[in-house]
Amino acid sequence: MKARLWHYGSLLLSSFILFITVITVLFFLLELAPGDPVQALVGDVPLTEEFRQQLIAAYGLDRPAWERYLVYLGNVLTGNLGYSFATNAEPVLDIILSRVGTTLALAVPAFVLSTAGGIVLGSIAARTRRRWLDAGISGFTVGLFSIPNFWLGMLLIIVFSITLGWFPTGGKSPYGQPGISLEHMVLPIITMATSELAYKARIMRSSMIESLGQDFIDTARSKGLSSRRLVFRHALPNALLPMITVSGYSLGFILAGSVLIERVFGWPGMGLLLVDAIERKNNMVVLGITIVLTFTIIVVNIVTDVVYGIVDPRLRARFTPNKPSPEVVG
Amino acid sequence: MTQQVSEAPFPTDAPPPKPDPATAPQPPRGGRTATWRAFLRRPSTVVFGSLLVVFVLVSGLGPFFVDDPMATSYPKLLPPGGEHLLGTDMLGRDYLARVVHGGRISLAVGFSVALLCMTLGVVIGGIAGFFGGWVDTVMVKIAEFFQVLPGLVLALVAAALLGSNVGIIIAILAITMWPAVGRIVRAEAMRISKLGYVESQRAAGFHGMRILWSDVIPNAMPPVLVATTMTVGRAILIESGLSYIGIGDPSNPSWGSLLNAAQSYMREGWWLALVPGGCIFLVVLAVNLLGDGLNDALNPTIGRVK
Repeated sequence: MKARLWHYGSLLLSSFILFITVITVLFFLLELAPGDPVQALVGDVPLTEEFRQQLIAAYGLDRPAWERYLVYLGNVLTGNLGYSFATNAEPVLDIILSRVGTTLALAVPAFVLSTAGGIVLGSIAARTRRRWLDAGISGFTVGLFSIPNFWLGMLLIIVFSITLGWFPTGGKSPYGQPGISLEHMVLPIITMATSELAYKARIMRSSMIESLGQDFIDTARSKGLSSRRLVFRHALPNALLPMITVSGYSLGFILAGSVLIERVFGWPGMGLLLVDAIERKNNMVVLGITIVLTFTIIVVNIVTDVVYGIVDPRLRARFTPNKPSPEVVG
Repeated sequence: MTQQVSEAPFPTDAPPPKPDPATAPQPPRGGRTATWRAFLRRPSTVVFGSLLVVFVLVSGLGPFFVDDPMATSYPKLLPPGGEHLLGTDMLGRDYLARVVHGGRISLAVGFSVALLCMTLGVVIGGIAGFFGGWVDTVMVKIAEFFQVLPGLVLALVAAALLGSNVGIIIAILAITMWPAVGRIVRAEAMRISKLGYVESQRAAGFHGMRILWSDVIPNAMPPVLVATTMTVGRAILIESGLSYIGIGDPSNPSWGSLLNAAQSYMREGWWLALVPGGCIFLVVLAVNLLGDGLNDALNPTIGRVK
C-alpha cells in the first residue's frame, strides 16, 4: 500500500511539474512575441491611451519579467486565464468552457470508434494466416497514416456532401437551430477516427504478434486449448496492455487534431475558437486553450497510469510488499 | 562509466596506442552492402523511391519551367486540362505553377526538419545514453514532455506568437520533434556502451567522446535512419496542418497554404483541394513506405510470428 501511495504521489508531483513547465514555456513565448507587449496581450483591437495605462498597471507590464511570471503563474493556477478583450472582455476560461462540450461530442466517439476498430483490425492482421489480408490491412493503415487528416475531411465533404448530398457540409446543426444534430457529426467523426485507427491498429498488430510469440502461449497450446480460447483468454489480454498507454496518448492527439478537423467542418468547438483567436491575434485565448488542452491531456495520462496499475497484475505484484515477484516487467 | 576512462592505465601525456590497421579486426565487408542491396531491390523501394525522386526533381527544377505563380492574368477557376494542366485558382493564377512552388516549401521543410532532428537526436541522445548523468536525466524529462504533449499544439502556439516565416517554422518543428529520434539514439547508445568492443576500447584508453563518435554512433545508425525517414513525413504533415489553419509563410505558400485557400472553394473548384492534398499524401506515403522497407532490411527479424 505504501509503495502504491509513493508511486501515485510521485506521479502527481511529476505531472504538476510538467504543467508548470508548460505554463513557463508559454510565458516565455508570449515574452518573445515580437511587437508591443500590450498589443500582444490584447490582440488586434484598437486601444485608448487610458485603457492602455490601465492594462499596463493591471498586468504589471512595467515591472520586471520574473515578477510578471509569478503573477501569470499564480493567475493560471487559480483558474484565471485572463480576459478576451476582442469580445467584451469576457473571462477566457468561460469562453473555453462553453465550447468544451461541443469538442468532446466529436472527440469521444472518435476515440471510442478508433480504439475498438484499431484493436479489431490489428488483431486480425496479427492472427491471420492469409498473407494478403495482413498485407491489405497493413497497407490500409500506412495509407491512412500518411493522409493529411484534414484533407481527408475535405475529400469527404466534396464526395458525400457536395456531390452526393448525403450529409451537410459543415456546422453542428441545421442553420438557426440549437444543439448538435447527428447527421452533422458523421463526417467529422469518421475523419477524426481514421488516422488514430491506423495508429492503434499498427501498435495492436505488433503487440499481438509479440504476445503470440511468448512462452505462455506455447504452454497454453501444449495444454490443448482451443485456438479461440488461446487468443481471447491468453494472447489478447496481454496484447491489450500497451493499448492502454497508447489510448491515453491518442486522446491527446485527437484533441490536438480536432483543431484542424473543426476548421474543415466549421464545427464550433475549442479548435475553431483557437483558429479564430490565432487569426485575430487574441493571444489570451490562444494561451488559454493551450493550457486547458494541456491540463486535460495531463489528467488523462494520470488516469491511464492508474488504470494500467489496476489492470496489469505484474504491476499489482510490484505494489505488494515482502513478496518477491519474479521478473517484474515495467 | 566515464571514470573508467580517466582511470585508464595509460599516463595522460602518452598518446593511446593506435591499433595497427593491418592486424586490427575489420568488420565483415559484405554485410552492409548486402543490406542496402536487399533494400534497393524491394519492389516498394523502387516504386516509391522513384516517386519521391520525381517529386523532389519537379519541386527543385519545376519552378524554372512553370508560369509565374503570382500572375493573375488568366480566367478564374478554369478546370484542369487544356492549356492549364491543373486549371487556375480563384484569382486566375496557373495552379500547376502554384503547386510546384508549394512543393518546394513543403519538401524543404520536411527534409530540413528531419536533418535537424537527426543531428540533435544523435548528438544529445548519444551523449545522454553513453555518458548518462545529468544530460541523461534532462533528456529523459524533455522526451517525456514532448511525448505527453502533442507537438502540434506547441508548434501551433509558438508559430502563432512568434510569427511564421519558413525558418521559424522549421526551427519550431525541429525543437518539438527531435526527442523522437533522441530517444532511439539514447536507447541504442546505452545498449552499445555495454558491448565488448566498447569495453575493450575503454581498456585501450580511448576517450569517451572518441568512442562515442567512432563506434557507438555508427552502430546506432540503423534505427536512427528509419526514424529520420519517418520524421520527413511527419514534418510535412504537421507543416501542412499549420499552414492549413493559416499559420504559414504568406509569401511562400506551401501545399498546406493552398489547401487553406481551397477551403472556401470546394464547391466551385474541387481540384484546388484535390491536387495539393494528393501531393502531400503521395510524398508522405512514399517516405513512410521507404522507412518501413528500410526497417525490414535493417532489422529482418522484427515483425514475424514464430
